[in-house]
Amino acid sequence: MLRSLYIRVLRLHPSGFRQRFGDEMLSIFDRKEQRAAFGLLVDGLISLARQWVFRLEFWHDKSPASIPQHRLDGIPSFCTLDPFRPRTAALFHGMVLSMAIFSVTCFAIKYSWIRVLHVRIAEGQFESNASTQPSSIQPSASQAGFLGQQTVARHSADNAPIVTPATPSPSLNTTTQVSTAPDAVKKRALQLSAKARSEPWRAFGASLASKSQDAAAAQDVTGIPDTTGTTIPAEDQEENLDAAERRRVIDGAIANVKRYYVYPDVAQKIVDGLLVHEKSGDDEAQTDGASFADLLTRQMREVSHDRHLKIVYNRVATPERSTGPSAADLAHYREDMKQSNCMFEKVEILPRNIGYLKFNEFPDPSICRQTMVAAMHRLNDADAIIFDLRNNHGGDPKMVAQIATYLFDHPTHLNDIYDRSSNATQQYWTQPPAPGNKLADKPAYVLTSESTFSAAEEFSYDLQMLKRVVIVGETTSGRGHLGSAHRIDDHFEIHVPDWRPINPISKTNWQGTGVEPDVKVKAVDALETAEKLARSKLHK
Amino acid sequence: MAQELDSFLPLSPASLHILLALAGDDLHGYAIMQEIARHSGGKYKIGPGTLYDNLQKLIQREWVQELGRRQNDEDPRRRYYRLTSAGGEVLAAETARLSDVVREARLRLQTGKRLSVRPRRA
Repeated sequence: MLRSLYIRVLRLHPSGFRQRFGDEMLSIFDRKEQRAAFGLLVDGLISLARQWVFRLEFWHDKSPASIPQHRLDGIPSFCTLDPFRPRTAALFHGMVLSMAIFSVTCFAIKYSWIRVLHVRIAEGQFESNASTQPSSIQPSASQAGFLGQQTVARHSADNAPIVTPATPSPSLNTTTQVSTAPDAVKKRALQLSAKARSEPWRAFGASLASKSQDAAAAQDVTGIPDTTGTTIPAEDQEENLDAAERRRVIDGAIANVKRYYVYPDVAQKIVDGLLVHEKSGDDEAQTDGASFADLLTRQMREVSHDRHLKIVYNRVATPERSTGPSAADLAHYREDMKQSNCMFEKVEILPRNIGYLKFNEFPDPSICRQTMVAAMHRLNDADAIIFDLRNNHGGDPKMVAQIATYLFDHPTHLNDIYDRSSNATQQYWTQPPAPGNKLADKPAYVLTSESTFSAAEEFSYDLQMLKRVVIVGETTSGRGHLGSAHRIDDHFEIHVPDWRPINPISKTNWQGTGVEPDVKVKAVDALETAEKLARSKLHK
Repeated sequence: MAQELDSFLPLSPASLHILLALAGDDLHGYAIMQEIARHSGGKYKIGPGTLYDNLQKLIQREWVQELGRRQNDEDPRRRYYRLTSAGGEVLAAETARLSDVVREARLRLQTGKRLSVRPRRA
């Protein structure tokens, strides 16, 4: 018994030691009396630990007696490693272990919630950002609120979504811009969203839109970089526009349109139109800032027919501010989202197990992702799903991609957004499917209305192009472009659409035309119609 | 050489006793253990684990030579070991060092005085 134990202990020694001294140690064990056997066993165990821990250099040592010694001084000698062949069982175990680790790693990469390893390669560049893959361009704002988060700022009179750029960047070539694009977008979004809180026009088009649709917009404060280099004294001078001031505003408007307007050829026509009006003296009668701003806006739209393009007069002088939202702005936005449940209004299971999700904004996923995930999780077992976007005024295209993710079983190219100012295009893709998602193959419906704006239109349009949803309701508002607000001086700013979506399938967008529903009914009847469609589909 | 040997001193008790045991004759492992027990009056005993661990080092330092097995031996598994000339020198150096220690210890015990530290003999 003890002898067999001792033999096992000897076998556990490093091969060099075991081969060299194992037999001799066993020989000694055999010569000792029985009563000493236990002591020898303890000695063997101590030796075992010592040889493995402190005698690394002897692990593979071989007895000099068994190695032919042919060395001569000055002549190099060569030794080979001890021929070693692992046991078959060890090979098998190693194979199984390797496969298990490989499988677990692959599984973790595919289904990890963190998705840190999700990298999509797009046209030579890649970006690990969850839902956006810049192919060579930078995102831009115009898809009306939707691109929104970036902030689609909506203004009173016409609800045109506008985005405020963090910094007006000079045109960059596409390659260099790519890497900065996501940051720029983020910055933009935050800036606007934050401003939206306190300003009449708001980023993320949606929630704010309804709150600020009055003339107060005319008093917006924007912290947009001065593009003209001129400022007006801070005193209130609303009624006293002089020729020099008018000239300054027109020059600022021209400079910004030339630089940012999403269609360069149209930009030139707008500029020409403004100059013609100026030369003909059409502007000279204007001494009131708000009226002057409205006049210029009309002049620009005569040519462009673009309701995103406008000049805003701020009655209260606003000094130039540093770009970017302040911490207070961000906190305010977060608080706003928290109080509004991130604009997710209803999450219900309708009769016949039809999931219903009504949400009125595509909020910033960095703040509202958990809310969105919880809502989608609740609807995961539904047999069909209805997205109610009838009061959705836009938001962040990244959130569009994240919600659309639930409708696909693989990453899907949703949309591209072209930014005129950086001459870059940002790709938007759905993410890999969330673990356990059951909605990828379920019938899906989108409810729209005339008040479906911007990012909500993008959601509808992208999924319609992919034939993934049936759109029920009214033609949407047609706000495909997203713009940025640029400061002209302390009182005037110009909102210029500089981003436009380019759908990868249609190669165009819904600007001006809106998204045409597949089933056209009045908005108030859309839900009922969609439910019927879903029920009949499930009934088949 | 003296300098090199000096760097190995003092020897561990096990190494010293093994070298001492081999100083008389070529021995196999078990015989080394018995010899150690004998010349230490039974006061110092080592197990086979300690024995072969030390033999491993001594062989590597070429103080001990492994002779291999002997034909017609009582137990064909055991190998014999021999003290090399280098091992003999080490043993002599260690013995001299110990002699100094013993001598100084005796002096101290006799005089009760604190002796100055003298350079160790190489």
